[in-house]
Amino acid sequence: MAEETQIQESGNVPMKRRLGQKKGGKGKKKMKVYKGSGEKVKVNKKMQKIFRKRARDYNSDDDEEGEDDDDEGDELVPVIRNKKNQRRESEEVDDEKSSDDDDGEDREDKGEEFEVSEDEDGEIQPGITKFTKGSSAFRKAFMKITKKKVADSVLGPVLSAHKKLIAEKLAEEEVERKVKGEVKKEKHIVGEKGHVQLPANFLDTHEKFLIGIATKGVVKLFNAVNKAQSAKKGLNPERAKDAKVIKQKKRAAFFSELGKKPYKSEASSKAEGEGPSWAPLRDNFMLTNSKLKDWDKMHDTTGPEDSGMPTYSSSDDED
Amino acid sequence: MPRFRNKKRVPFVKPVVKKQQQQNVDHITGDRIPRSFVFSRGKLPGSLKQLQADLRKLMLPYTALKLKEKKRNNLKDFLNVAGPMGVTHFLMLSKTATAPYLRVAKTPQGPTLTFKIHEYSLAIDVARSQLRPRCPKDLFANSPLIVLSGFGKEERHLSLITTVFQNIFPAIDINTVKLSSCQRIVLLNYNKDTKLIDFRHFSIRLQPVGVSRRIRKFVQNHQVPDLRDLQDVSDFVTKAGYGSESEADDEAAHVSLPSDLGRVNRSTNKSAVKLQELGPRMSLQLIKIEEGLCSGGVMFSEYENSKGSKTQDTEEEHIGSDEDMEEEHSESEEDEENLNN
Repeated sequence: MAEETQIQESGNVPMKRRLGQKKGGKGKKKMKVYKGSGEKVKVNKKMQKIFRKRARDYNSDDDEEGEDDDDEGDELVPVIRNKKNQRRESEEVDDEKSSDDDDGEDREDKGEEFEVSEDEDGEIQPGITKFTKGSSAFRKAFMKITKKKVADSVLGPVLSAHKKLIAEKLAEEEVERKVKGEVKKEKHIVGEKGHVQLPANFLDTHEKFLIGIATKGVVKLFNAVNKAQSAKKGLNPERAKDAKVIKQKKRAAFFSELGKKPYKSEASSKAEGEGPSWAPLRDNFMLTNSKLKDWDKMHDTTGPEDSGMPTYSSSDDED
Repeated sequence: MPRFRNKKRVPFVKPVVKKQQQQNVDHITGDRIPRSFVFSRGKLPGSLKQLQADLRKLMLPYTALKLKEKKRNNLKDFLNVAGPMGVTHFLMLSKTATAPYLRVAKTPQGPTLTFKIHEYSLAIDVARSQLRPRCPKDLFANSPLIVLSGFGKEERHLSLITTVFQNIFPAIDINTVKLSSCQRIVLLNYNKDTKLIDFRHFSIRLQPVGVSRRIRKFVQNHQVPDLRDLQDVSDFVTKAGYGSESEADDEAAHVSLPSDLGRVNRSTNKSAVKLQELGPRMSLQLIKIEEGLCSGGVMFSEYENSKGSKTQDTEEEHIGSDEDMEEEHSESEEDEENLNN
């Protein structure tokens, strides 16, 4: 990790300094020193693509390869090629291409890489001489690691000695996730019980039948309203003649109400005399709503005039 | 300086709270307006929460649309609020392992009807299945009409259902009602064979009879019509629109209006009643009726007759266990009320 970060810094350093040059005259000297860096950036653009690609499936080994190439490029080539192929497989970019083509491309890529890394080393060396001296031991250690043959396992190259442990852990996680998912699914199914997502039988015969019933109810109400309101419609209450008519009608309605009243009270008294066996018939049952009091007598006694909606619905029952 | 201080020191006067008279009474007809709470007992899954929201919308305008419930709220809390707010009906949704349940109760003394929800679809499901879901902005400004059919009068538990549901919405006075306020309709249809109640919610639309769709839209929208593919202006009038003619116009759905309704529906013309489903839809089964509010004697039980079979018994126990907790609360509530009386 240390090496890698160092490299990145070193890559950035010339850019930073160049920025500084624009501001002050002091930078001019350094500009001469780093003149080559401008070209290098151009080359880097290509490299940046590759680096970016690598960053996507990040492997800590990647950048060290570049470093080590100077000394023992020949040996490393097969290893890198392996890895490249692995990456290809994972990304599934060039599945259709033949393996020969892949190899060829790999070599070309490698060539570029080496050049660049050499360039980088050459340029950067003044900045990191101290580091390269100190890291010889470090480099050796990495060499050892990179020389190792990488086993072709599902997990890919794992440096840790506890390969089995990791495999077990991954397997465990997988199982746990599966169990969790199943539990969640079950919960969801229980929650959705009875929920019909999309009425597949939308507007089938039953629905049409229901709509028909509802339409009938609406038509009945509207007709009744029409009857009741259109009678009054032509009359202007301010005109004396019309006022008389309205008065008469009101009177008639009132008397018709009165005519019913005794009958109604009889019925209710009857109910009291019988003695309430069924709770809703008791005197104090649902006292808050007087309509509910005689709920089972209502159909027999009341006409359609005195209460609006209830009678409509009950008249639907007859159909 | 002390002068200023003295000015500030105002003796505390208990603010005279003018008790705002709740509009529990319809100002035209003088009838009592029923109000409702829709809430849940226990935790509900998402789809049932949505159903609860849909039911609240259905019960508009005399309901608490944004009623907030907490986990620790029990039935007594709602009951305490219901009194001063003039709430007369509770609709309670609950859920067990077997099925969701809907309880419709009258406050404060009951009765309580418990329904098992066999199937339900949300308003959004219904809207999704439609080509042009309809929602004019004043759709929920007035309470819906209710139509109950197939209940009959013989069986007492069925007629109790009708009375409860008739009184859940304000009664309509034929002499004063404005037809423009009749925008929605709730239908409960009892199926004798399956013993299931179909619960549907429709929007009511009136269309003039014998006017083509194009003309109607033109009059309604006041937009410049698209005449690109027509040879002559007269074609616009003479060419029959497609949609409306394909629908079977039956005479049974035609009404004549007492007054003009909107731009297109004239009192001189006949209008056709068209219903479009709004949702939610439910198929309910009456499980039991209790005398009190989620308590008291059982007046009717679906499983009363067949107590021998175990499966149904266990199902009933499920509901029972849900209500046992509430029974305690409401019982104590009843005691208090008895004392007051």
